[in-house]
Amino acid sequence: MQDNRWRKVLPLVAGAAALALTLGGCAPGGSSTDAGERPIRMWSGHMTPITNNFNPFATETATHMTFGAIYEPLFFFNQLSDEAPVGLIGDSYEYSEDGKTLTITIKPDLKWSDGKDLTSKDVAFTFGYANNVDKDMVGVETPDDTTVVVTYSSPKFTAASQILGGMWIVPEHIWADITDFATETNPEPVGSGPYTLKSFTDAAYTLEANKEFREEVAIKEVQDVGIDSNQSSEDLLKTGKLDWVGQFIANPDNVTSNGRNATINQQQDPTVIMTCANAALGCEGAQTDPAVRQAINVAIDREAIGSKAFAGLSGISTPSFVLPGRDDKWLSDPSLLESPQSPDAAAAGAILEAAGYTKDADGFYGKDGVAIELDLFSPDGWTDYNDAAKLISAQAADAGIRINARTVSDAEYWTPLESGEYQMALYGLTQSLVADPFSTYDTYFATEATAKVGEAPTAGQNYGRYSNPIVDQAVIAAGATQDEAVKKEAYAAAQAEIAKDLPYIPVVLNASQSFFNTKDFTGWPTEDDLYASPLPYLSTASAVILTHLRPTEK
Amino acid sequence: MKFWLRRITFYVVTLWAAISLNFLLPRFLPGDPAAIMLGKLRRASGGRPLSEETIKSIRSILGAEDDISLWDQYLAYWGRLLHGDLGVSSTRYPAPVGELITAALPWTVTLVGAATIISFVIGIIAGAWVGWLRGTWVDQLVPFTTFLQSVPYFWLALVLVAVFSVQWGVLPIIGGYDVFEYPAGPEWSPGFIASTLVHAILPATTIVISSVGGWLLGMRNMMVQTMAEDYVITAEAKGLTRSRIRTAYAARNAAIPSLSGFGIALGFVVAGSIVTEQVFSYPGIGKLMIQAVQGLDYALMQGVFLVITLTVLAANFLMDLVYGFIDPRVRRDG
Repeated sequence: MQDNRWRKVLPLVAGAAALALTLGGCAPGGSSTDAGERPIRMWSGHMTPITNNFNPFATETATHMTFGAIYEPLFFFNQLSDEAPVGLIGDSYEYSEDGKTLTITIKPDLKWSDGKDLTSKDVAFTFGYANNVDKDMVGVETPDDTTVVVTYSSPKFTAASQILGGMWIVPEHIWADITDFATETNPEPVGSGPYTLKSFTDAAYTLEANKEFREEVAIKEVQDVGIDSNQSSEDLLKTGKLDWVGQFIANPDNVTSNGRNATINQQQDPTVIMTCANAALGCEGAQTDPAVRQAINVAIDREAIGSKAFAGLSGISTPSFVLPGRDDKWLSDPSLLESPQSPDAAAAGAILEAAGYTKDADGFYGKDGVAIELDLFSPDGWTDYNDAAKLISAQAADAGIRINARTVSDAEYWTPLESGEYQMALYGLTQSLVADPFSTYDTYFATEATAKVGEAPTAGQNYGRYSNPIVDQAVIAAGATQDEAVKKEAYAAAQAEIAKDLPYIPVVLNASQSFFNTKDFTGWPTEDDLYASPLPYLSTASAVILTHLRPTEK
Repeated sequence: MKFWLRRITFYVVTLWAAISLNFLLPRFLPGDPAAIMLGKLRRASGGRPLSEETIKSIRSILGAEDDISLWDQYLAYWGRLLHGDLGVSSTRYPAPVGELITAALPWTVTLVGAATIISFVIGIIAGAWVGWLRGTWVDQLVPFTTFLQSVPYFWLALVLVAVFSVQWGVLPIIGGYDVFEYPAGPEWSPGFIASTLVHAILPATTIVISSVGGWLLGMRNMMVQTMAEDYVITAEAKGLTRSRIRTAYAARNAAIPSLSGFGIALGFVVAGSIVTEQVFSYPGIGKLMIQAVQGLDYALMQGVFLVITLTVLAANFLMDLVYGFIDPRVRRDG
């Protein structure tokens, strides 16, 4: 969801980028108001009108600052590092040997923003409230004011980031009276985070420092505005009106050259050619043959795709689906670190010929007199994807594989993916949020996470319809243990299978650019110290960054 | 009197037909829009059950209700409309559609309305002038304004922003008012009103630039035609002053056809200018519409369409009144 937000305005970007180049130059540094007095201004991706909704259970529609800045989870899991999570409300946690009992200690003397005490009772209440209730949860107890003991019927090792980092703790004295939490808009939120709501309009809302927060925050006010086009936010950033955005800017120098703004480009979420890979579950087409997928894998020119379609901002994809750098210890075989970067038509041909395909008069491979013809679609207006699809089509043709690149409307894009009635589509997977590829394998590759063609997967997002008993076993084995050696072994088995079967043919790692004002504010993450991802739309991470910031001294 | 009665009846019937069509369309759509909306609402609220009231409201506005005859559904639909209940938006859940539209309407009406009037007035005056001096150098204005009209609107807006806002920093980039200066929202102060005016300059200018050419061309051609009419020649023969002939005889009659076009244009003011509002993050209806369409937010779509229908009808009705007043021919019973 968040990942796609920028895409809605992408069509605006292409023309605008060209325009910006033509007009060139950069504006004067804007109004130089005293940074200490003024709020930090950010765009977290809201489009106008912003809805007045601070309900932490409305994950899709509540304002972004509801999550992290106003309501907090127990811990912050930094998706960029493999370090232990940082305690927010929580102080420490411990799993029992079998992973079925989770004991959480919270910090003492915490308070809600209305001045009432925050105790383990509130945490226990949250665990048992609304859709936080886990069907595997057996019970939750609070032996004292700072301890919560949760028991489950199955091991919960792999759900740690979800339970501890993705559940927003709410005050019992308020939410116990709210029965219809679905329509609740919570316009006067009482949370435990560093900020509280000061004022709201449908064009922007302002937060002020929470006086009851456990530590002093240096940035006293935060304003989050709604903007409808990437070009506008780029202009606002350039003219000094905005301090923090996360969006695609093809030519970042344009924004950073005035010495006011800095940028960090993270490359993590893999863009893949997703294939309906499994004929046994009802997929149709030549792509159900692993040999065809392997041939495409070596036939495409990832270097050209990265530089032409993704403006040179993307990263190098990996067939192992770990996040290079962060997850290196989980990579079993170094040869699985990078997908081939330059095309090898001969190798592609050899793979196909070995699988019994032959070239026809036009130079295209086929079997039994029928040439391979594959359909690759991407949503119209996602220009980087559209361009990549065109390049892939041309590169595959060079290797004798016919791929037709096609663009479809947004609505036409999602429906076939969910139902499995497609052959190939360009798609962005979401990288696991902790330094462990478990959720990637579990969500996209496990048989549990898929469904027959015609049905939408309910327990995951295995839209590739991939099913492999070795991978399934590995996922189960890795999920039931905290033993690194056992996990490594399981992941090694899964990675070998995934890289061979290629239900998702990796293309690039997507870029996520963030831009922030380093002239008026310091304390931002740097390339050397990525204590949190500086993307303003990432819930807890953005709040963690706000608490690290302070006005620069002048 | 008979004329007015006939017109009013016509508008009442059209209004009823439009609203009924709004009721029928989603029921004829393939699939079940209400089910799709409810599914989206559930997702928006994190997979939790929806309140009974929400379900009823969506069903009555969008889809077939179980065990209820179409007629009863129709009555329930009217009942909700008359209470101002247009359902709940799924892209802005749980904001009611009515509230979203009410908040956006004043902005669009003021901005696009003012821009349309300005562009009409400029177009008519310039068109009359160009037509009057046809065959001279001012005729060059016609291809020039037509060119401006054909420049992609979006591109024009970006150029203006790049020059006036980014390069020179004299005009704001986004919004209907300065959101940084007025974080608590609109207020009745001179400063705030000045802020809204300043924020309207660029969006209004782009609309005017790209639409003035049409009015100018139409008016110029009518002017040329009218000047060949007998009554103009007679007026000339009588020795009336040239300015009197120009305004009272030629321009006045030449403007009549443009007026009906103006009526239609006014009606569509409410539809807003999707691109303007998108480029300038201007808080109007056009943007709601595009978001509704992109997000398959049926209730919001329907609400916006309903409001547009109503205003087009109202504007036409108004123009009918004006027209009947200035041009006696249309009143004649035929």
